[in-house]
Amino acid sequence: MKLGFILGEVGTGLRRNLSMVVSVVLVTFISLTFVGTAALMQMQITQMKGYWYDKVQVAIYLCGEHNESSNCTEGAVTEGQRGEIESMLGSSAVKPYVDNFEYESKEQALAHFQEQFENSSMSETVTAEQLPESFRVSLVDPEKYQIIKELFSSTDGVDVVVDQRELLEKIFSIINIASFVAIGIAGVMILCAVLLVGTTIRLSAYLRRRETGIMRLVGASKSSLQLPFVLEGIIAALVGALLASGVLWAAVRFLVDEKLAIEYKDTAFISTGEVLIVAPWLILLGVVLAGVSSLVTLRRYLKV
Amino acid sequence: MIRFENVTMVYDQKSRLGSENARPGLDDVTIEIDRGDFAFLVGASGSGKSTFLRLILREIVATGGSVHVAGQNVARIPSWRVPKLRRGIGVVFQDFRLLPQKNVFENVAFAMQVVGESRSAIRDHVPQVLKLVGLEGKEKRQPDELSGGEQQRVAIARAIANKPQILLADEPTGNLDPATSVGIMNVLDRINQNGTTVLMATHDDGIVNSMRRRVVELSLGKIMRDEVAGEYTSMIPVINQDGTRELRQANHGTWQKPPAGSQAFAPFDTEDDMP
Repeated sequence: MKLGFILGEVGTGLRRNLSMVVSVVLVTFISLTFVGTAALMQMQITQMKGYWYDKVQVAIYLCGEHNESSNCTEGAVTEGQRGEIESMLGSSAVKPYVDNFEYESKEQALAHFQEQFENSSMSETVTAEQLPESFRVSLVDPEKYQIIKELFSSTDGVDVVVDQRELLEKIFSIINIASFVAIGIAGVMILCAVLLVGTTIRLSAYLRRRETGIMRLVGASKSSLQLPFVLEGIIAALVGALLASGVLWAAVRFLVDEKLAIEYKDTAFISTGEVLIVAPWLILLGVVLAGVSSLVTLRRYLKV
Repeated sequence: MIRFENVTMVYDQKSRLGSENARPGLDDVTIEIDRGDFAFLVGASGSGKSTFLRLILREIVATGGSVHVAGQNVARIPSWRVPKLRRGIGVVFQDFRLLPQKNVFENVAFAMQVVGESRSAIRDHVPQVLKLVGLEGKEKRQPDELSGGEQQRVAIARAIANKPQILLADEPTGNLDPATSVGIMNVLDRINQNGTTVLMATHDDGIVNSMRRRVVELSLGKIMRDEVAGEYTSMIPVINQDGTRELRQANHGTWQKPPAGSQAFAPFDTEDDMP
């Protein structure tokens, strides 16, 4: 069986069955776009974790004038209390867990705050007095946060111990939920795509039963009978996968690279490079699904 | 070339007819058709002619006995080798089965393309085959521009394009007028003289009577007679079980109207196989 002949048959099939082929392309396109979106969201989480986990610290906020925490009943933290906390952080019980720590005064806190919210009107109304002083502790193992929390929560002069990772985890869980939703939608859409490929191939085989009947009788091999149909399904799915990859690339390029990444300079975002990693897998997934579902259909509807 | 040994074919009542009537198919048939033979297969509708042809092509597998084609027991051929068997067998039908969107040349070339012949081989061979069936100069015609007889010639050309050793013809003249039928028979005769074994199922008594070739008559799945140079209707008196003698006629009394909704299925009909 010559390649040219098979491709000619594929062309005939695609032309005769155009509306079904278009629907396969669209359904594959949508479903793979969702799969790709979910994958990219997971990559975004990984990216942010890598970026932030190095920077996030445990913040030990010290009592200010008006704190109502049980440790702060005696008003603002005193010099002595601050010294005691500092020596505790350097003590042999705590030292193994602590990578390094530094003190942040009210003035420094204000500077950070203004830097972080430089576009917001808030930065002008906030004064140093409103912000707490704190110790910023980097842990050797960020997972051991509980130990620091237990040790310092009940110490006099400590208002509250905050693991900044908790804030990030909230963001991550939102992204996670979004990617599960995307996966769920993708699952349903992929099921649609598989069934639709099956139906399309079945219809195509029916439209060409005259040819295949003759091919059988003159001794066409199983592969040469089935290959044109399988290729038909695969080509449609391939077009869908390429569309999905293109749309994902464009979305990342124009929404993330050119908008989010510029607006939030201090956050790590995925870029088109990640799309290039995801795209081949999407294409492979599309091709494999279409190939398998058309082969299964042909086993039933195109006997040799 | 073709040998049937005690071949019995019982169709599954449930799947084919959906009724209680068991179709006869074939019942303990033993026969041999030699290389280069030209044989007519006659008998009423439902007598087993199509079953006979389908067994040779291994479209179906006998429920009993064995079918040998070109020395091989077809039931033992693994399914992936069946295409090879079929390349050695050409088939012609009553309804021609040409591809309407392909012209004469392409219809014949299709059979060769399917089995992977090179373009140059196709270019060389197709005109020769068309010449053999008497269609020189009509390569570019579309099937709907041809007469019935010409269409059947194209179908024959396609059937022999891959130089099969056996040519099966299932009522090839069934849709043609007598004069055109004679032309088709001349083509089949020419092919037979080139060494191809021809087996033709037919209802056309004029042709059978004038050709004087081997005649095998089937009735209800059994071989009723097998004559070297026979006629459509047997000249040999048959002694019935009650001792009376009569001239048995091929179509006499054996044809029964099939029960409603259970029409005897069309041979080789792939058209209806799809849901």
